[in-house]
Amino acid sequence: MALLEVRDLEVAFNTADGVVQAVRGLSFDVERGSTLAIVGESGSGKSVATQTIAGLTRGARVSGTARFDGIDLIGADPEVLRRVRGAQIGMIFQDPLSSLHPYYTVGWQIVEMIRAHRKVTKAVAQQRAAELLSIVGIPRAEQRIHDYPHQFSGGMRQRVMIAMAMALDPALLIADEPTTALDVTVQAQVLDVMRSLQERFGTAIILITHDLGVVAEMADEVVVMYAGAVMERAPRRTLFYRNHHPYTEGLLASLPSQGGTGQRLTPIPGSPPSLISLPAGCPFAPRCRYAFDRCWSVAPPLDMVHDDPAHRSACWLADDAQGRRDNQARNAAEAAAAGSSDRTPTPAGVGP
Amino acid sequence: MRSEVLLRAEEVVKSFPVRSSGLRRTHDVVQAVAGVSLEVRRGETLGLVGETGCGKSTLARCLARLYDLTSGTVTFEDRDISTLSGREMRPLRQDIQVIFQDPYGSLNPRRRVGSIIGDPFVIHGIGSAADRKRTVQELMERVGLNPEHYNRFPAEFSGGQRQRIGVARALALRPKLVICDEPVSALDVSIQAQIINLLVDLQDDFGLTYLFISHDLSVIRHVSDRIAVMHLGKIAELAPAAQLFDHTRHPYTRSLLSALPHADPDVADSRERIVLVGDLPTPTNPPSGCRFHTRCPKAREDCAVTDPRLVPVLGDGPVHLTACLHPLAVGEDLSLARPRVSDTEIDTRPRRAEEAESA
Repeated sequence: MALLEVRDLEVAFNTADGVVQAVRGLSFDVERGSTLAIVGESGSGKSVATQTIAGLTRGARVSGTARFDGIDLIGADPEVLRRVRGAQIGMIFQDPLSSLHPYYTVGWQIVEMIRAHRKVTKAVAQQRAAELLSIVGIPRAEQRIHDYPHQFSGGMRQRVMIAMAMALDPALLIADEPTTALDVTVQAQVLDVMRSLQERFGTAIILITHDLGVVAEMADEVVVMYAGAVMERAPRRTLFYRNHHPYTEGLLASLPSQGGTGQRLTPIPGSPPSLISLPAGCPFAPRCRYAFDRCWSVAPPLDMVHDDPAHRSACWLADDAQGRRDNQARNAAEAAAAGSSDRTPTPAGVGP
Repeated sequence: MRSEVLLRAEEVVKSFPVRSSGLRRTHDVVQAVAGVSLEVRRGETLGLVGETGCGKSTLARCLARLYDLTSGTVTFEDRDISTLSGREMRPLRQDIQVIFQDPYGSLNPRRRVGSIIGDPFVIHGIGSAADRKRTVQELMERVGLNPEHYNRFPAEFSGGQRQRIGVARALALRPKLVICDEPVSALDVSIQAQIINLLVDLQDDFGLTYLFISHDLSVIRHVSDRIAVMHLGKIAELAPAAQLFDHTRHPYTRSLLSALPHADPDVADSRERIVLVGDLPTPTNPPSGCRFHTRCPKAREDCAVTDPRLVPVLGDGPVHLTACLHPLAVGEDLSLARPRVSDTEIDTRPRRAEEAESA
């Protein structure tokens, strides 16, 4: 049994403008000691999904299940959630400064965290706090536990957050864009810390990121989300080298290549759909150059690719390059014939 | 490409006062830009890359004369603009424009897009109202916006479209130099590529010169003809793009390159990685000598004493400048280097658990 089994998770919010369907039918497993990366752009639902699993989305309409070590966290008693969260599921967020209380020393905050879950004396907890800071590579940890968050740099603060999340030796660490606010040299340090903790304690990690470079470095398995739904799910190498879904292909193609200067990039035209009025059919169809009739009417299920149970893609396309090229040629011809096609979602989107 | 110099900076220094801690009301200064000399040539894209707080945005604002310089000179088309007053600068504003990072903060939410883009014409008194509307709509079309959205407010556009508005506004007066300050950093990758392509196309069409600032080396590499790497207020290395990547001289440049995550599992698994230890020192209290020596894997005793000048090293031609006393030879492996100076922190622990076991 996997450590975390999420099935058919749906999250919706009522807003003044209508119902926002933030997560639509998300299913995945996280194995013990492994890293699952969830990639997607802004508004893809990647953060909302994990926050819901940790019981942090208030006022949302939630359905589905998320079994952590056998306990369903969705709709669990707040008391049960409180015991699991922090102790068994640690969390770190993008902005460490707003996740730490500015009025208390970091040592105090870690001690508080430990003592909320374990019956230990302050002295023991304090010693553990210092030990944790030194594990995540903060020099002079004994002294630094008496410092306040503002006395740490951005990278050091993120280490403090990791130390706090790891304080009770959780089985799962949810890291939501942990290095997005950091410079590349500091990002490399923080990713290193996460990797070595995983090796040492066997922690499973859910890494939420928009950065495919970080995914390539860290992930065992990858889930690609778009408009609240999973587009593709695959082991790391499969995703980068044998991906199936046009959105995954588009994301990789739009990266400024590591190779050449001056070549044109291949962006994905248009912009993501509104989660209030989602199109019928595949949510990516309006931006997909291979889309054909069925894509516009029926949303594709997340099916196996090449009969590989580890590789799934929500796309009607067969996995043959010729078929894709034919579709692309036909779509390009239609678009040219129609001038600005009404299927083109935003007039701004399509490049010349 | 013509190599005529459009803008030249010489020993530009910009310092800001900061109140020192304690009861004394003395003022310390922080040197955000600590003596930078460079040239921007007509028609090229000069990339400027560096970490948070290295002074790249401050330098850009000095070059656009949005800030007064503390010392040094900036010449634009052979004219010294470093001490011009705001009024004297005004005609030159047509020639030097800036595109900002934040497509949310840099557009007035209460004004319609047409008037935001049309502002430059009004300010400089160009054209009649009818002319302006037509020109603005042409501009909107050129940057990929629907001209019928002339009367909409910024909030009705997505992040990528707002950045197109910022681009249209910057290009309205056909400037000679456009300073792009992190223009794609706030955008998702798929949208980022759209804006980068747009900027490249417009450069070709209008013969623009870009000073392109980013913390993202892969973006910088993609757009730049030449690249300047900035570290703590100074230029560490400046070279044509390919040369900077293939014949990296400065240990700082090499560390930046090695820290960049590659979206390719094979590369990610196999490449040499140099993880710098410690944080970026603060510009309030920069290290002595070479400002990188406290984090440099190759630091020697003299690095703590001598501040290296930006010059060609190891037989490089005049186009490749490096500020380092012990630059990297081609093929030298920086991950094996160990500093020989007391105040440099460096991680000498084995990198992975398996290495620890085999050691």
